[in-house]
Amino acid sequence: MSEFVFATAQYESGDWDSAPLVPANLIDSVARYTKLRVAPTGVIVSLASEDVFRFPLLFLTGHLPVRFTEAERTNVKRYADRGGMLFVDDHNHDIDGAFHKTAVEELARTVGPLAQLPNTHTLYSSFFRFPDGPPNTSHELNGWGDNLVHTHLLAAMRGDRIAVLYSNKDYSSEWGYHPDNKRFLSVDNTKFGVNVIVYALTR
Amino acid sequence: MHSRVDRARWAVELTLRGIALAALAVLLWRAIRPPAPATDAVVQGNLDAVLERWTSTPPASGHVVFDGAPDPQTRDWVRAIAKAGTGIRWSPTRPIAPSAVVAEPAADPYGATRVRYASGAQEPVALSDDAGVIDSLPAGGAAEVELGAVSGVVRARGSTFVAATAPTDSATLRPVLVLAEAGWEAKFTIAALEESGWRVAARLSVAPNVDVTQGELGPIDTARYSAVVALDSIASTAGGAIARYARTGGGVVLAGTAVRAAALGSIAPGGVGRRVPGVAGAVVSDRPRTGLGAFTVASLRTDAVPLEARGEATVAAARRVEAGRVVQVGYDETWRWRMSGGDEAVRAHRDWWSRVVASVAYTPIVPRRATLETVSDEVPLASLYDALGAPTQWDRASVTPPDSSRMTSILFAIVVGSLLLEWVSRRLRGAR
Repeated sequence: MSEFVFATAQYESGDWDSAPLVPANLIDSVARYTKLRVAPTGVIVSLASEDVFRFPLLFLTGHLPVRFTEAERTNVKRYADRGGMLFVDDHNHDIDGAFHKTAVEELARTVGPLAQLPNTHTLYSSFFRFPDGPPNTSHELNGWGDNLVHTHLLAAMRGDRIAVLYSNKDYSSEWGYHPDNKRFLSVDNTKFGVNVIVYALTR
Repeated sequence: MHSRVDRARWAVELTLRGIALAALAVLLWRAIRPPAPATDAVVQGNLDAVLERWTSTPPASGHVVFDGAPDPQTRDWVRAIAKAGTGIRWSPTRPIAPSAVVAEPAADPYGATRVRYASGAQEPVALSDDAGVIDSLPAGGAAEVELGAVSGVVRARGSTFVAATAPTDSATLRPVLVLAEAGWEAKFTIAALEESGWRVAARLSVAPNVDVTQGELGPIDTARYSAVVALDSIASTAGGAIARYARTGGGVVLAGTAVRAAALGSIAPGGVGRRVPGVAGAVVSDRPRTGLGAFTVASLRTDAVPLEARGEATVAAARRVEAGRVVQVGYDETWRWRMSGGDEAVRAHRDWWSRVVASVAYTPIVPRRATLETVSDEVPLASLYDALGAPTQWDRASVTPPDSSRMTSILFAIVVGSLLLEWVSRRLRGAR
């Protein structure tokens, strides 16, 4: 049986490697809370390569404008249609930011328009329970970026399944620390990341 | 003194009188004897008229000649006459090819019908329903087709038969239960089954005492589930229940290492052998499953049937377990087929999983209404043998009967003629 491998998408435009600590942190959380077999290290996979189809959950982040190449666009569409799930996080936490505007436009063109995901969706109860929807990040609460608390995530669906999950809550910053430092938190803020992974593995 | 001529005439007159008396005696015997056994012969074409006559006035025996396998009504009519006491024999004008057609509900969520049909003796056969031709076998033989919908009666038609069946049965399909650890294989197996129309209930283990569930979960029995799919050894927690389920008629699919659970080993077609790697790049070939890694089926039981092999090794096998069926497939990463395969991979992966589950699924069939049985004639030649026995040699001359009324007329003419001649002879010689 395959083990879960956390894969970060590498794309031509922008800074795809802006959150290098996120994979290790989420891998640590998955190992900590579940009995899923998880690879101890993540991988980086080019969005334009056939390798993306070996990893049915892909994490994509960045600050800069996103423009997919034709090969990337073809792969993302095929990936979504076949059952893969692309988790995109805006590292800017800025609704008017370059990443948000371009990424949403690019994703809409590639997989269809993104729509608000109801806060009652099973994503929020796939492992831990988040009755109020996506947990807020410290950056939102501190008023950084667009000074908004984003109450919903966006998603492109295939049937009743999330094919692309889009966040502009800046989980890339929220989860971007060494896993050992979790012990300094009163509440582990990566729990929602576990939900995303468990949802991807079960739905 | 009588002359020699007179004596001769007297002898002739006596003979004529004797003939007349004998003919009268025969007529009298014919009048008072029990009805003489009669034999009738017919060929196809005037059967209805003859059968009507035989029904009102049954002959002692009859011989029916068919150009081909008769329709069920004619066959039953002849059989009824035979059962009423008439000795019926039959023969064909040309060899009638054996044939069969059967339509059964397939274990398919969308209600497909599986039609199997065949003809022998190299006779071409065409399959059709009320909407038109479906398939054909130009040189006879047997074939199976799965149809999404069937219109009316399904017929397999050859030059000497028309086999017909009414596919009015329907199968009752219940949800499929998937038991596994959370992972890509479970996710994509569930997706494939749901996309094929199966209702899926699932229990996916995520953490100790934490399962992700979907659908209605309850005791594992045939009243609740049509099949159970165990994808890995997590199913060992329900191993006993699954084994009982199989023995009572349930269908079980054991994938990957699920067979390692002790209770499941007792119902599996074999054990779990070594893992053979997939052939690099083959997942996009026309034999995509060779690109997948798989556990071989080791120590195949004597009552198990190998279904799929990788070289010398079996990677899929099936067996019956009392009332149920169990399939063991060695694949544990079929999701790679769907994700990395060619353009048709999603559909092919979906169809494969649906077929695997359908091959074992418990599908109680709702029986057809009795009134519709009349249109069914699934094995015409076999039914003809069953109704009338084996054919006999047909010799028209041997069965053509003498005409009873003509014989009476002849006898009557003989009586009259004999007496008239005797009277003329007597008058000519002056006697009274």
